[in-house]
Amino acid sequence: MQQEVVLAMLAKEPSQGYQLRARLNDALGPLGEALNAGQIYVVLGRLEKAGLIGLDGDATTRDHERKVYVLTAMGQERVSEWLAEVSWPKPDLAEFHLKLIAAAQAGLADPISIVDAQRRELLRRLRDAQRAEMEEPDGSDAALLLEGIVLRLQADLRWLEACEGTWTTRRRKQ
Amino acid sequence: MKEEAMRKEEAMTNVGAALLRTEGLRKEYGRDESLVRAVDHVDLEVARGETLAIMGPSGCGKSTLLHLLGGLDQPSGGELWLNGRRIDHLSERGLANLRRREIGFVFQAYHLMDELTARENVELPALLAGRSPRRARQRALALLDQVGLADRGNHLPSALSGGQRQRVAIARALVNEPLVVLADEPTGNLDSAATLEVLRLFDHLHASGLTLVIVTHDERVAATADRIASMRDGALVDETRLTGGTQGNLRDLISLER
Amino acid sequence: MGTSLLVFRLAARDVRRHLAQAVLLVVAIAAAAATLTMALALNGVTTQHPYAATRAATKGPDVVAYLTSAGQATKLVDAAGVADHSGPYSVASGTIRFDGRVADVFAEGRSAAPTAVDQPLLTAGNWVRPDGLVVERTFADALGVSVGDHVTLNGKSFSVAGIAVTAAQAPYPNLCNGTLLASTPAVSKFSNACPASFNIPLLSLPGHRELSSADDVGQIWTTETDAIGLTSKTSPLTMYALNLKLTHSDDAAAFVYDRAAPTFGQSTAPTFSNWEGLASEDAKLVQDGQGVLQPGALLLGLLAIASVAVLVGRRLSEYARRVGLLKAVGAKPSMVAATFLVENLVLALFAAVVGLVAGWLVSPLLTQPGAALIGTAGTPTLSASTVAEVIGLAIVVSLAATLVPAIRAARSSTVAALNDVARPPRRRGRFIRMSSRLPIPALFGLRLVARRPRRAVLSAANIAVTVTGIVTVLAFHAYADARLAGSSALTAGGLSNPVVNRDEQMLTIITIMLVTLAVLNALFTTWAMVLDARHSSALMRALGARTRQVSSGLVFAQVLSALPGAILGIPLGFLLFKAAVHGGTLPPPTWLAAAVLGAIVAMAALTVVPARIGARQPVTEALQAEAA
Repeated sequence: MQQEVVLAMLAKEPSQGYQLRARLNDALGPLGEALNAGQIYVVLGRLEKAGLIGLDGDATTRDHERKVYVLTAMGQERVSEWLAEVSWPKPDLAEFHLKLIAAAQAGLADPISIVDAQRRELLRRLRDAQRAEMEEPDGSDAALLLEGIVLRLQADLRWLEACEGTWTTRRRKQ
Repeated sequence: MKEEAMRKEEAMTNVGAALLRTEGLRKEYGRDESLVRAVDHVDLEVARGETLAIMGPSGCGKSTLLHLLGGLDQPSGGELWLNGRRIDHLSERGLANLRRREIGFVFQAYHLMDELTARENVELPALLAGRSPRRARQRALALLDQVGLADRGNHLPSALSGGQRQRVAIARALVNEPLVVLADEPTGNLDSAATLEVLRLFDHLHASGLTLVIVTHDERVAATADRIASMRDGALVDETRLTGGTQGNLRDLISLER
Repeated sequence: MGTSLLVFRLAARDVRRHLAQAVLLVVAIAAAAATLTMALALNGVTTQHPYAATRAATKGPDVVAYLTSAGQATKLVDAAGVADHSGPYSVASGTIRFDGRVADVFAEGRSAAPTAVDQPLLTAGNWVRPDGLVVERTFADALGVSVGDHVTLNGKSFSVAGIAVTAAQAPYPNLCNGTLLASTPAVSKFSNACPASFNIPLLSLPGHRELSSADDVGQIWTTETDAIGLTSKTSPLTMYALNLKLTHSDDAAAFVYDRAAPTFGQSTAPTFSNWEGLASEDAKLVQDGQGVLQPGALLLGLLAIASVAVLVGRRLSEYARRVGLLKAVGAKPSMVAATFLVENLVLALFAAVVGLVAGWLVSPLLTQPGAALIGTAGTPTLSASTVAEVIGLAIVVSLAATLVPAIRAARSSTVAALNDVARPPRRRGRFIRMSSRLPIPALFGLRLVARRPRRAVLSAANIAVTVTGIVTVLAFHAYADARLAGSSALTAGGLSNPVVNRDEQMLTIITIMLVTLAVLNALFTTWAMVLDARHSSALMRALGARTRQVSSGLVFAQVLSALPGAILGIPLGFLLFKAAVHGGTLPPPTWLAAAVLGAIVAMAALTVVPARIGARQPVTEALQAEAA
């Protein structure tokens, strides 16, 4: 679980651990079942230690389930950075998916712009990979690897297109 | 011949200027409640020597837009400029001239004549443009060579694979040295190997200065363009300029997989 | 129950989608049905033997004796074998004038009371009265009189009291031809033209003119008094007519021979006519009529079939994909065949009914009283056999149109049928190479023809049939003109010759029907060709051909396939004509050239219209059309 995801989740409002978990489960659907229940608290602890989140309200209670967490200024900055990042994660799409949802729920950024930006980046990468592939001799090892990269990028781009479609429809309905 | 020289001269003087331009281009069907805006006030510019890809989901109007650009259909409104000349109000005769000399169109369904060989298919527009049979034949053979089908000139389309047929269609579109080539889903019916063939060809043509507008839903094809325009519900909604990458970026791609 | 409903719905859906085609098919079959109905009606008209009906209705005599004196009657009336008689009636000759027309007549004096033998049957008006005469029907038509008109007879004014038919004489203008024994070879030497047979010195007209041609004499009836009143010192009574009924009608020929043979050549002996001779005259009329009708009907039939063939042929080529689609969704071959059969059957039957009604409405035009005799009066009723034949034709057509897809459904694999783009076009390398040198329209046209040679042949066949028809009709007209030059359509007195009239009428009607069918056929052929070439035309336009070049190309293709057909039509037409009529020559070459040229020009002109319409369609749409 990427720390930044939890951080971004807090951007909406200060929340307790279980609230965050509930929102995550909502956002991930059946895939959320796989989440370890306690995992979130581990992440929250790390974030607190890093100074990216702080405690709100009664800071004294021991019961970590009752603690209310809130973003610090540094945390806010980190969230903004993360939202603008276009580095592509490994074949785990959940992070990007959650990024969009967090952004939408917090009103921090337009998910469609995020998708567009990511699309642009992937298109550039696709162009580079494809160009490289065309320069390699047909059937060589390099060409084969590059073909694999190209095809995955293509697949991801298709998903991004689907994201764009869905989020556009949602926006229109609002 | 004189016309060609004139055109080339124009090309020199207008380097960098928009070759193809639309302003508020519209195509509508039906009326009142059943009005369908297939192309909805599209503003577009294509520079000389540029490759533009137009992407979008099915039914977004990209093919209709391309047909309008190619003079195969009359717009309902708006302006369309080609090489500094306004072409949206041309008569059918004027459009025919356009299609013959200045625009080359590559159809998704190829639309090759079944009973003509590859060479005969390619030379047909040249004959239509008034070239002598011998010149037309020479030109057709040269182009077939350029698309890598020099040894297949005497084959009928039924004896060619999908990718080869597509290349014949591209050669046909090039035979009269058009100002711009418009391609509608050129890899729509092709597998990835055939797609690569066609993409190589486009790349090569682009390198030799051809202006190209490609409608596609294939990201791989779009990635070869200089610019990508996205369409949705008849309107242009996004534009991406793809700057050329360098070899440095490739390492990123590979570390991506680790 | 479910499957039959489904079959109907599929058929209905298909008709609605290709409505224009369905309508054209219905029109073609209806035209064919109407043609058949009219041909059968015409046949009925000309093959009816009205003489028998007239004879029965008028109590027609077996023998008519023309006497030079009333006294000659006794011997004949008392002769063995005579069962009944009427007369002798005075017959005066006279000249009738009406509305600028002049004719010679025999006026027979009758009483008001009906007789036992030869009582003419009134078809209009009333029987004779003082100053009121009754005119024989064919003669009345030729003269142009109707009941109530006033005519001048030998300078005196009479009114036309009525119009009647009789079996005692042949109808105008063949009044005299049946007056001798024509029924046995032995006495055929007596069968001459009127004057010799009559050889009655009294047979002379006012002014002592000899009767030179029998064609101009009409038959009227008047009162006895009026008949006598027509005579004068210079123009005495012509003869007496005695009608005899024999115990055995078949003895009539022998009866007449026994009496006429020994006295032949004597100027005062009576002359005779027997009913068999009249019947054979009637039969000759029928034959003549048939001589015009049969080749005409054959031509019309061919043309009708040709049009239907063009349309059905087009539909067949589209069926392949439908067969595949139906089979792909699980229809059994029998059900596939059933959908086609239902669709074709319903369309064909509907068309047949429309054609029957149209033909029935038009056929009264054919029953002009060209023959005076009873059977041709009024509208021919639609006989059961006619209806059966026409409906039968429709069923045959629909079966034929269903057979091909049905067989295909049974035989082919579904995939093959689905992928079938009809048959792939032929490649003719030589033509393609040749066409590259030609200007664009010729290039396009030649390649179109080379691409689908079978369709070009069908087109040529259509034109061939059309030109054959035109040539045959022209030949007939030339022949009829020549034949009737002697017996002109108008007599010296200005009356129309009914036989000539009727033949001409039939010829005219057949010509009109032929032209109509030819035009329809040409429309179908040209329209079909333009449709088939839709994809190619659109592609040429997309590649930069001008609309005019494409249209010209289509016209070129049409003319190219029509030309051999048109040229072939000339000898074929002449052969058909020769087969129908012995004698007669080829129409003048200028006519023939005009016919061929006319046909070609018509085809070209008819191609331009659908070509132009097609050219209006935006290229994009037209390219979606399946490449034919």
